[in-house]
Amino acid sequence: MLSSIGDLSNVTFHLAAVPISAQPFVQTGFLSFLTNSIFVALIVMTVIFLLVRAGTKRPTLIPSPMQNGVEFLFDFVYNQVEQVVGPKVAPRAFPLLCTIFVYVLFANWFGLLPGVGTIGFGAEGTQMGFFGLSQEPETPLLRPATADMNLTLGIAVCSLVVWFYITMREAGPIEFLKHMFAPKGGLTGFLKWALVPIFLFVGLIEVVSIIFRPATLSLRLFGNVFAGESLLHAMQTLGDQFGLGTVASFISKIVFTLPFFFLEILVGVLQATVFALLCAVYIQLSTAHDEEDH
Amino acid sequence: MGEIGKVLSGLGVYWTNFIAQVIIFLIVYMILKKFAFGPIMAILEERRKRIEETEADREKIKAQLADSETVAQAKIDEANETAARLIAEAKESAAALAEREKSRATQEAQDIIAKANEATRLEREQQLAGLKKDFGRLVINATGKVTGKVLTSEDQDKINQETAAELAN
Repeated sequence: MLSSIGDLSNVTFHLAAVPISAQPFVQTGFLSFLTNSIFVALIVMTVIFLLVRAGTKRPTLIPSPMQNGVEFLFDFVYNQVEQVVGPKVAPRAFPLLCTIFVYVLFANWFGLLPGVGTIGFGAEGTQMGFFGLSQEPETPLLRPATADMNLTLGIAVCSLVVWFYITMREAGPIEFLKHMFAPKGGLTGFLKWALVPIFLFVGLIEVVSIIFRPATLSLRLFGNVFAGESLLHAMQTLGDQFGLGTVASFISKIVFTLPFFFLEILVGVLQATVFALLCAVYIQLSTAHDEEDH
Repeated sequence: MGEIGKVLSGLGVYWTNFIAQVIIFLIVYMILKKFAFGPIMAILEERRKRIEETEADREKIKAQLADSETVAQAKIDEANETAARLIAEAKESAAALAEREKSRATQEAQDIIAKANEATRLEREQQLAGLKKDFGRLVINATGKVTGKVLTSEDQDKINQETAAELAN
């Protein structure tokens, strides 16, 4: 076994074994949109619905453990949102930000459940056999929903739309344009007019950065989750790559994967927080005009 | 746009899948809005309000307690003042009564002494009158025997008067 590990030059790693895009269950027809990540997204949606419904079916002043958990989560998110965007904008921004946090968190963690990425169609060595447990499936039945660029980009675009709506409602188009292009820092006189071209240019850069926000948000989440999935996959197949025996390979699947599993649990929370927090910061930047001097 | 399209399709982004994911996200949003945001925020708001009310009640009770303590203290002080005043008045009254009783007793004693003196005087005068009468009769008897003459009423009166004058002197 040690000799196998030592001879790394002969080992070919397949770290990118997880396909970059979600795979459809059927190639043609109406259901061709149904990919394994959309399937997981539907499951996550159902899980969220059931949990929330169980927690809020009969809300009482003295909460049940389930209601307490849901309340704790929502109260925590609301307080965080309020701290970032302020008490005035918080009620408007909270629904979007909370949905993003909860949905991304559940989707991230769902991707860590056993069976995600390992159960599927067309197992290697079989003719489109279903539930290829012993071999790696060609089309996994379940793929982490946030490891699909369609989902992360969809959430990012939604957040951009809501950001625009809240900004227009809270600040208005004039204030927004002034915030983007007008000279800042209380400049007056000649200096103010001299710096107008620079601030216009800075405003254009700002516009470009806003346009790219969905891309940065979605790629960050997608990249982290996809990398995490690839990492777990690589750790699970490390024993096979080293050519270890069946038992040693099986043990290595557990030993090598476990630390990264905990890491991915943390990454799941972190990425959900980062996504929601960045959206909150974007909203705060475009709505907090009172403290600025134009 | 062609290059962006290539990058997106390279990452597996397709309109149908993208729209499907957006719809799922919106459904999650609606689920949370209907079943979570409304009821949970309402219950949190109600609880917050209840806590605020309880806190306000607590403050109110605290203020009332402080007021009650002040009122009670004022009552106690007033009662103490009244008690002190009553005690002082009682002392004054007792002193006045004692003085009055003392005066009355003194007066009564003086009256008794005066009455006793008067009685003594009257008794002495009575005895003196009796004595004068007896002495006068004795002098008349003695004068009658010495002179051997029966004294008349006029003589007897004259002797009596002279004897009484002598005794008075």
